[in-house]
Amino acid sequence: MVPHAAIGVPLHGGDVRAPADVFNSIFEVFLVLGTAVGVLVVTYTLYHAIKYRETAGEDPYADKVERPSMGEMPTGGSGGRKVFYSFGISAIIVVSLIAWTYSSLAYVEDGPQIAGEEDITVQVEGFRFGWAFIYPNGHEASTLKVPRNRVVRLEVTSRDVFHNFGIPELRVKADAIPGQTTDAWFTASETGTYQAKCYELCGSGHSVMVAPVEVMPQDEYQSWYAGTNGTQNGSSNQTAASVGGAPA
Amino acid sequence: MSEAHDHGLPPKSSVSRWFLTTNHKDIGVLYLVTALFFLVFGGLLALLFRLELITPGADLLGSLGYNQAVSTHGLLMVFWFISPFAFGFANYVVPLQIGADDLAFPRLNALSYWLYLFSGVLMGVSFFQGSTFAGGWTMYAPLNTPAYIPGEGLGATSVVLALIMFTAAVTLGSVNFLTTMYRMRAEGLRMRDIPIFSLSINLTVWMMLFAFAALLAALMILTSDHILGTTYFQFANDGSTLATDADNPGASLLWAHLFWFFGHPEVYIVFFPALGVMAECFQTFTGRRLVGRKWFIISMVLVAIQSFAVWMHHMFLTGINLPIKTIFMATTIGISLPFDLMVFSLIYTMAKGRVRFTTPFLFSLGALILFIVGGITGVFLGAIVLDYQFRGTYWVVAHFHYVMVSGATALFGGLYYWYPKITGKMYDETLGKIHFATYFVGFNLLYFPMFVAWETPRRVFEYSQDLQIWHSMATVGGFILGASMLIMFYNLFVSLWRGEDVGDNPWAYATTAEWAVSSPPPLENFPGVPTYADGSLSFMDDEEVARRTSGPGGSGVAADGGTAADGGTASVTTAATATPATPAHEAAGEEHASHASFWPFLVSLGGFVAFLGLSGVRTGSVVYVSMAAVGGLVTVGSLFGMTREPFHAPEMPIAERWPFASVEKMKLGMWTFLASDIVLFGAFIGSYAFVRVAYGWSEWHHDLIPAEHVTMPGLINTYLLLTSSFLVVLAMVAAERESKKGTTAALAGTFALGVGFLINKGIEWNHLFHISTEMFPNGWNLSTNIASSTFYLTTGLHGAHVTIGLLICAYMTYRAWTGAYQGDDRAIEYFGLYWHFVDIVWLFLFPLFYIL
Repeated sequence: MVPHAAIGVPLHGGDVRAPADVFNSIFEVFLVLGTAVGVLVVTYTLYHAIKYRETAGEDPYADKVERPSMGEMPTGGSGGRKVFYSFGISAIIVVSLIAWTYSSLAYVEDGPQIAGEEDITVQVEGFRFGWAFIYPNGHEASTLKVPRNRVVRLEVTSRDVFHNFGIPELRVKADAIPGQTTDAWFTASETGTYQAKCYELCGSGHSVMVAPVEVMPQDEYQSWYAGTNGTQNGSSNQTAASVGGAPA
Repeated sequence: MSEAHDHGLPPKSSVSRWFLTTNHKDIGVLYLVTALFFLVFGGLLALLFRLELITPGADLLGSLGYNQAVSTHGLLMVFWFISPFAFGFANYVVPLQIGADDLAFPRLNALSYWLYLFSGVLMGVSFFQGSTFAGGWTMYAPLNTPAYIPGEGLGATSVVLALIMFTAAVTLGSVNFLTTMYRMRAEGLRMRDIPIFSLSINLTVWMMLFAFAALLAALMILTSDHILGTTYFQFANDGSTLATDADNPGASLLWAHLFWFFGHPEVYIVFFPALGVMAECFQTFTGRRLVGRKWFIISMVLVAIQSFAVWMHHMFLTGINLPIKTIFMATTIGISLPFDLMVFSLIYTMAKGRVRFTTPFLFSLGALILFIVGGITGVFLGAIVLDYQFRGTYWVVAHFHYVMVSGATALFGGLYYWYPKITGKMYDETLGKIHFATYFVGFNLLYFPMFVAWETPRRVFEYSQDLQIWHSMATVGGFILGASMLIMFYNLFVSLWRGEDVGDNPWAYATTAEWAVSSPPPLENFPGVPTYADGSLSFMDDEEVARRTSGPGGSGVAADGGTAADGGTASVTTAATATPATPAHEAAGEEHASHASFWPFLVSLGGFVAFLGLSGVRTGSVVYVSMAAVGGLVTVGSLFGMTREPFHAPEMPIAERWPFASVEKMKLGMWTFLASDIVLFGAFIGSYAFVRVAYGWSEWHHDLIPAEHVTMPGLINTYLLLTSSFLVVLAMVAAERESKKGTTAALAGTFALGVGFLINKGIEWNHLFHISTEMFPNGWNLSTNIASSTFYLTTGLHGAHVTIGLLICAYMTYRAWTGAYQGDDRAIEYFGLYWHFVDIVWLFLFPLFYIL
């Protein structure tokens, strides 16, 4: 049997859950619930503050609560049960929300295992102030070119200081640490040009440490990759020179 | 006490008083004023880069200027503003709330303050040494090492040294507060009974004691990389830039672990005092006791402990494995829950209350609302899948500003709350309310748009055009927030003259002891010895104190202790320091208490000059080298002057001292200090283990260590130190037997053995420096490789401890020779504690660096 990757057929056809989809769906739920809880609790707080504001005349709760007096030994006030009910509800919300996201975590960590498909693995090396992408055949480029609808695995490291590689639209991110390699993966279903950015302060050129990411149709990618033959396109150091940051 | 009893302390109108004072209230005021200065400093930097961010691009500050502004803004606000501001209140209020007349070690307290002030001055000076630190307040490695710092990098070194000085101030302060709170509580006040603000400070200083020790280790290592040329935080030291050629693959992560092990507890260190202020203000201005107080306290204790087990959630993307991520996710969610309880506790405290919307209450309520928003957005970060994408973005920036600046909001409330107590005058309530309204609007206009524009990466000046509206809004909000602070400064300044006089207590339903005395309180705080023995605050006069402390065999004291309100085992009242023969008025601490010393200022000034010099010694410049030398001499000389100065800080004759009733004040202070020193060495040893594992445990020895590094010198030194420890014990025995000769001889022997240790080490190091083998043709020195760096720095830190011990030992030998310590071996015991500790550390270092 001929491996699919060798003949360049788009394999998962867009039905693989991309990290971006996972993020967006969870973020949405958190936003809705977070806003609701926030509005509720803040309203509840303000309600208490206003309802129990001091009014002229007698203390309306004089028979219900004892007011503190100067020099007394500090103790707690009555009404602790309500605290526990409210605390219990909030704890259940928080714990169940996080537990719910945990099932997605394992998936986001390792990515999908698709029978018969070879993932594309690209090494990403950060440097002040740019990114180099190294393909399995040794080809090094300053643009990350990947086919659509394929799982792309990144092995991220750094040549100098601590960077962080992220492509915001595709929701992939990994620390780029000198001496260490971190893994990340993504898949894109839409062709087009995206932007990779640095998310860890790395010096004067940090703000402009970006690289283009091109998601291409499968066949275009295949023919481009076939033509690289492991040669460097030699532009990976251009960014550094153009920024003119201080030399190491 | 009347002003006539000020014991040499000039009046408050005299400038010299503020340089001399060791009184906790004066020092509290100094802290408050200084912290507000740094708020303005850090705030102006923030306004500068908010101006820069109105539109994309670095057209105002330039890229390095921008990086410097964001980095120093963070450092100034976190270190030099918010915690010291809280400790201004802690200094002023805690002794009053727990019934003490001052802190346990008043001169040490002054020393803390001056070290803090001068560390801030050094931070300021760094701006004028070319450029200051520009690597972010998290100071990630290796961007924080000279190799990646543009120019000479002296300013960056100064910042690191300033942080060390600050850490010294914090550690002394922690020791002082802990000793005070465990030895000087009014009779009847169990630890859980002390007012909630004091309790929050107690937990804060516990966290400080350990967290700052870890930071100190990180900073000392970083300083050594800057000045001595060690290579802890450099991943490749042959100048190559290939990621695969790493000589020290653990370098970057080592910093991240050390920093966040400190950094996460630091969040609670910053926030706890604010929580304490909020709880106090809520109780006073709702006229209700804190609902669920017991659980509020338990929550705080849980958070304080657990804060040391969540740090890796700052490192979820560094490639740590899933099981560890899961554990840290669980601890992170776990630590957020106690805060839920505290928030609800505050909300329900308002129920059935008589809520008065005074300025302090408005700020406390505002802080609570902001904290709720900060907390909810923090839950987002607890979900790792979301955290991955929020990492390094404005979501994080917005979230932690909602939390940290909510803390600052509560502290501003505290400033209004205690202003009448500190000054004796009332502030203008209308202006206060206007301040709050402007502040709250400015705050939300500044930070809320950051959530909307969260896709912006942190610390960049370039962002996409469609986010510009939100960044412009934030900038406007920043200026409104800044302007609102001017209203406060005006209000508080003018009220010093125009404010109405307040009596002891301007707030209905205030209960804590600071409101039971005049505003401002007298120098000695209370009209007698405070006690809660019968369930509420009263003061014992001289006669009663005399009666209780001079009873036959102190049995009267024991009886009183047994009947204290709580009735638990906790209430052991002792009068350890008051002997039956002591006259009552002296036992009550009313006379002979000293309040003035010039030495703390001089020690800190010397330290400042020395550190400024150190920042530039690597250039070899005569100016820098001589500053380092002169500053060092002034510091050591003034420390000597301080020990020679007669200074009396009497202990309370009757106090609650659980659980340290039988541990004398000095000994408790020494133990507390050693506890932080253990963490310091632990961090050094942990760093060694971490970089060695990252390199490969067994390859390490083969690749990096010369055959000439043999076991024998270490073994000899082990025996030398063990014997010297034994001699200290002999010195104690001799002092007890009142044998002057024996004491002197034993101490001199200790000194000689310690010197022998250093000489032996010197010979060993000199040999290793100058070996010439195939592997190490140029010797094996500090910069040779990561193994040599860890060896020299860790054993060097131990050697520095030995040297300090020897200085003390030499001084004590001289004193013993002139007849001191006979019949009273306590001083020798304290020195012995330290010396044995130094020995025990060596027992860990010897196998780690010579055998394994």
